[in-house]
Amino acid sequence: MDSDCLSLLPAVCLVLADPKQSPPDDTSLEKLLDWFKELHSQSNGQVLLQHQPCLLEFISNVCTSKTTDPAILSFTLKLTGLLAATTQGFNLLDEGGLLVYVFEREAWGVCDLWEDASVRSGWLQGLLDMLKHQQALGFICGNGLIKVILQLQNDRSLFVACLANQLLVHILNFLTSSNMTSGSDVVGSSESSLRPDWVSASSEIMNAVVEALSSEDCPRVLQGLRLLSLVLSQCGEPIISTLWKDVLVPLEVFVNRGSESLIQTLITVLEAALGTPLLSQSEYKVEELLEAMLGDGNRKECFQCAALIVKLEKCPEVLKRKATDIILLPLQCVSTQPQAEKEINVVLKEQLSQKASCISLLMQSLSSLAQLAHTKYLFEDISIHSITSSVALLLRMCSGHCPSSLLHINAFTHLIGCCKVQRCGLDTLGALSVYEENLDLRKDIFGVLLDYLQSPDSHATVLKKTFQAVKRWIVCSPFPDLLQFISHDLFPVLEKRMCDLRWEVRDSTLEFITQLTAALNGNSGFSEALHTSGMVSVLLSSLADAEGYVRASAVAAVGEAVTASFHQTVLVSNSKLLEDALMQMMAILSQDTEGFPRRAVVQAFTSWLKGSHLIMALESSLSSVLSLGGSDFDWEVKMHTLELAEVLMEKTLTCCPYAVQNFGSSEETRFTQALIKFKDFGLFDLLFNSLFDCDRPVCEKACALLVKLGTLTAETADLDHSILVLNVCGNRWGDEVQRRYLNKQQAKASVCVTNGVTGSDEGTDCDLHCTKDISLPKILQILDLDDMQRMLTLSSDHVVNSPRSLMEDILSAAQQSEENIVDCY
Amino acid sequence: MPDIKVTPLGAGQDVGRSCILVSIGGKNIMLDCGMHMGYNDDRRFPDFSYVTQNGRLTEFLDCVIISHFHLDHCGALPYMSEMVGYDGPIYMTHPTKAICPILLEDFRKITVDKKGETNFFTSQMIKDCMKKVVPLNLHQTVQVDEELEIKAYYAGHVLGAAMFQIKVGSESVVYTGDYNMTPDRHLGAAWIDKCRPDLLISESTYATTIRDSKRCRERDFLKKVHETVERGGKVLIPVFALGRAQELCILLETFWERMNLKAPIYFSTGLTEKANHYYKLFITWTNQKIRKTFVQRNMFEFKHIKAFDRSYADNPGPMVVFATPGMLHAGQSLQIFKKWAGNEKNMLIMPGYCVQGTVGHKILNGQKKLEMEGRATLDVKLQVEYMSFSAHADAKGIMQLIRMAEPRNMLLVHGEAKKMEFLKDKIEQEFSISCYMPANGETTTIVTNPSVPVDISLNLLKREMALGGPLPDAKRPRTMHGTLIMKDNSLRLVSPEQALKELGLSEHQLRFTCRVQLHDPHSDTDTLGRIYTHLKSVLKSYSIQHVPDGTVIVESIVIKVTSSAEEPNLKVLLLSWSYQDEELGSFLSTLLKNGLPS
Repeated sequence: MDSDCLSLLPAVCLVLADPKQSPPDDTSLEKLLDWFKELHSQSNGQVLLQHQPCLLEFISNVCTSKTTDPAILSFTLKLTGLLAATTQGFNLLDEGGLLVYVFEREAWGVCDLWEDASVRSGWLQGLLDMLKHQQALGFICGNGLIKVILQLQNDRSLFVACLANQLLVHILNFLTSSNMTSGSDVVGSSESSLRPDWVSASSEIMNAVVEALSSEDCPRVLQGLRLLSLVLSQCGEPIISTLWKDVLVPLEVFVNRGSESLIQTLITVLEAALGTPLLSQSEYKVEELLEAMLGDGNRKECFQCAALIVKLEKCPEVLKRKATDIILLPLQCVSTQPQAEKEINVVLKEQLSQKASCISLLMQSLSSLAQLAHTKYLFEDISIHSITSSVALLLRMCSGHCPSSLLHINAFTHLIGCCKVQRCGLDTLGALSVYEENLDLRKDIFGVLLDYLQSPDSHATVLKKTFQAVKRWIVCSPFPDLLQFISHDLFPVLEKRMCDLRWEVRDSTLEFITQLTAALNGNSGFSEALHTSGMVSVLLSSLADAEGYVRASAVAAVGEAVTASFHQTVLVSNSKLLEDALMQMMAILSQDTEGFPRRAVVQAFTSWLKGSHLIMALESSLSSVLSLGGSDFDWEVKMHTLELAEVLMEKTLTCCPYAVQNFGSSEETRFTQALIKFKDFGLFDLLFNSLFDCDRPVCEKACALLVKLGTLTAETADLDHSILVLNVCGNRWGDEVQRRYLNKQQAKASVCVTNGVTGSDEGTDCDLHCTKDISLPKILQILDLDDMQRMLTLSSDHVVNSPRSLMEDILSAAQQSEENIVDCY
Repeated sequence: MPDIKVTPLGAGQDVGRSCILVSIGGKNIMLDCGMHMGYNDDRRFPDFSYVTQNGRLTEFLDCVIISHFHLDHCGALPYMSEMVGYDGPIYMTHPTKAICPILLEDFRKITVDKKGETNFFTSQMIKDCMKKVVPLNLHQTVQVDEELEIKAYYAGHVLGAAMFQIKVGSESVVYTGDYNMTPDRHLGAAWIDKCRPDLLISESTYATTIRDSKRCRERDFLKKVHETVERGGKVLIPVFALGRAQELCILLETFWERMNLKAPIYFSTGLTEKANHYYKLFITWTNQKIRKTFVQRNMFEFKHIKAFDRSYADNPGPMVVFATPGMLHAGQSLQIFKKWAGNEKNMLIMPGYCVQGTVGHKILNGQKKLEMEGRATLDVKLQVEYMSFSAHADAKGIMQLIRMAEPRNMLLVHGEAKKMEFLKDKIEQEFSISCYMPANGETTTIVTNPSVPVDISLNLLKREMALGGPLPDAKRPRTMHGTLIMKDNSLRLVSPEQALKELGLSEHQLRFTCRVQLHDPHSDTDTLGRIYTHLKSVLKSYSIQHVPDGTVIVESIVIKVTSSAEEPNLKVLLLSWSYQDEELGSFLSTLLKNGLPS
């Protein structure tokens, strides 16, 4: 690869440096950089620069030209940084002052190029890539580049500002590690053996953080805080404690001021501080600051702080408890009567009386609760029982039911029909199912959930969340009257929902039934209820739904219902179900215009076959499924059909008692019988046809199965070839086999002629092209499957994505005289 | 001042993936959520971490709006909603909702086909994402919440493409997505009413181009196909399943009919049927001609175009084949290309854009030898033609849209920087409005001047009318004085008296006072007399009284004189006046500071 590419490199450099040429598209330049990065990681970077003087020339040409395109300049800056990442590369570039010339900020200042964000980000990225050794650090510090980077930290482009922060942290980190290796203290040490410009660089950066935090300009403060959090999470001591001491005062000011726009970033800073040794030293006040942010729960911002603190992983327990208490307040306030006048939180009441803040507070409260439930958090001051009741009550309020004792709360009117709170509340209710203490609330909760399922006003997305919650509560704690609940309460609602006008609802209902059936697999009462309630016939009728997605979900639901039925004793209704299901599914596979239902049919067959209960019952349909699925338009139907074939092969070959009569027969006979069975199923037609498909994954899968078959055939010495003869005429794969065979024969014959050998023990094969039938082992041999497999494992884009292809594209685009007008779709 | 903020995460000075964040009236909206087809890694998706800085998208965004089904506008949607996590509403038109999953599935296949592909959405994710979509009709105003409303307008470009008006209170933004101002074979031209948005965000793909008539390109296309077929060659047209393919099919079908041609035309992999199903379903979204003739004959039921079977590629004789995918990078189109490439009688017509790395891109760049898997080289001898049929507004069209909508500000996206610069100057010159073109990651802030609706009391209006002056006119704003009452979420302007009455308050008079020191060697009474005379001579048209209790009164201004026993010549004048006479009061204090005439 490399030698090919390296030979093209000089020409590519010439094209890219030519200001008359319009630059190749941005992806080409990015991909070219990817290649250089790869070379660099293989430590070829230095070699590259030494042996490719064209690169130095390119960099110099681009930087001296005043008409360079910003995209090319940005690329050059990044490339230079990459090449200078090794000391040798750095030295080569530094000789003659090229490096200074490239990164000299003043040079860019005179032209408009610096105005282009891509140039600024290229400049930063170049320095970031270069900063792998001390010389690079010296270069940055010695040329006053820190100042420029600090300016870019407040750039108008988010991307540039973010990159500048990363670079600054990297510099600080590098200063610390250089310091460690040289054994002295870069921060604040007067006896430092470090270069003075390094010491001043680190203090310059840290001062900038402190200054930013003391600024009145909010965006500047935000950038300062972002840099601070990066420093805390990525740098080591003594940087973090030195910096922390300096920023503690402004941080305290922010915390006490409670500025809303800073909260999230402040929490990020404090979160980062939690992961450092700062936490254990009380004078650094990390915990104190977090606690101060929470206040007494009577400030507008404290709820957002609490929601963020609840999420923190390394949060001290006391703090987490306090945050939890605060974040639950909105939920409690809306759903319970205040016990005494003094408990009323005025700020909270005010917030809850306005719609937007009410919804946002409750969403914060609910999602924090869900988060806590995921870890099965143990609540202390408040019972999980009452929390869960509150959530259930809140959900009732959202659908317009409110106990009269709570009517005075303004929030009620904001909540009616609010999908946002409903979705969030249902997620939370589902998550709360993990607490055993909630078991006795089940009736109430199912009541709420059923109301949602029944309500004609429920939004499709809300219904989907309701189904998820119902499933969680059923699966989590099966209860004695579960079946009663399912057949009397749940199924009638589901049947109604399957006639919903919205396909989204019908689909979610079917998905829910499938999941429920799978989850209650083995529960005989459930599969009986499916039949007796008439649910099965509703499922079967959904197979004819107008929406493809719904038909596919119906296929999956019917498939699961069949599986569930056959786990039980064989009933007449079961075989009737299978019969109906097979008939309709075959119709879908052969006639449905959409891919999803057809894919689902094949997947249902695979899952039935895996279950092994149904092999006999399916035998008559299998060959049709294999043939229809194999010739489908949709590549995924073909893939699923090959997966079905794989299961069939496994089941049959691993002495499946249903497929092959194996009493008293030898291994070889059983294998032969299995192959005959495959032939009857049309499995070989499927595999060989798929081997020459236009979709690579299909060919790959077919090839893998044939290789497996080939190995088994080769291992079975006494295989009777005459029994396994396949017709190779009149189909595409047969033509291909014949063509390949003839090619081989011709090649062999020419070798024979040159060697003067006549006569052959393969004389019979010479007439191959005249015959229609060839034995399976022979075909497998002719096809040279190992070679095919090797080719297929190379993905279809391996050639087009190669660096050589990329360079050829850049070169040919440059030769193309007429510009293809920019187009996109 | 309130403002509108716009930050492109994609389509800022490029034609890659569109993804634009807009903040308006406290609401955050994402416009389009596209994917860059040119990358195989995470670079293909917008970096959503910039949206929220660690927060959750559902909490930050109020809604997502998708303008049309092209992947550079919707390709990252399942990734955002199902993998990054977004549970809020997604808006798009009905046809877009129907067609979007087909293209997403199409693309998923291509991606799955690649080696080492991870972090990509599944079929189930596409479906789950589509379930979150709220479909819209044209010109239907949808209330996202109490404050935020959106409305879709016809955009041409592709079936179901729409422009969106986003309104919060009196502030509004229009986002065009991709649009076309001239009708084509199957779609109409974009249209919007004179909605005068604060900001119009427009695509600018053809910012500097005035495109030639599409008829010429169509004639050229038909001529080339015809010539190839006549000499017995085969024509391959790689297309994506939906969109341009249908336009070209109508073109060929009509031509074949007219010329009575016999060579077969095929469309690969059964997609015609499905695509045409959607065109039939959404016939109201096509152009007038198709809608009119629909009753007599459905334009999408083709007589000459048949489904393709892969064995047909080896048939002798001429034929035309539309095959997917459109960039010749995998699947059927590539397989057919490999078969036909060696024959110079054959022709390849590329009707769309190809990303770097694809076979389509290489061929368009004139490469004649292509390396295939296993190092085999493919000689490209067939003729190659590139014909752009993409439907974007050209410079003229963009100016036309500005004239239609009359925006107060303009922002260009989805175009190349240099070309945008040119158009920006032109817009600023011709319309005298500010035009912005932020790069990706740059935020543009537009200050708005929102009008707040206020109810005015009838009494106040009557009083205003009684004062005379011109009759009220919507185009000529007038100043009115009154007391603004903010109560129960509404604003009312009433007369001060009414306000006092309503609020049960009594009136208080606010008076300004000041002291002026003056050297005057007379008695206090004489000084007051001198002041009276002086003011009489200066303020001729004012009523000035010398009241016997020792004050001089000018309008509401009261002047008193005092002096101390120690310094009888130093007089202290006490001035006091009401708010109404503030100007006169300050004038008098200055006047008296200068002393009295001797």
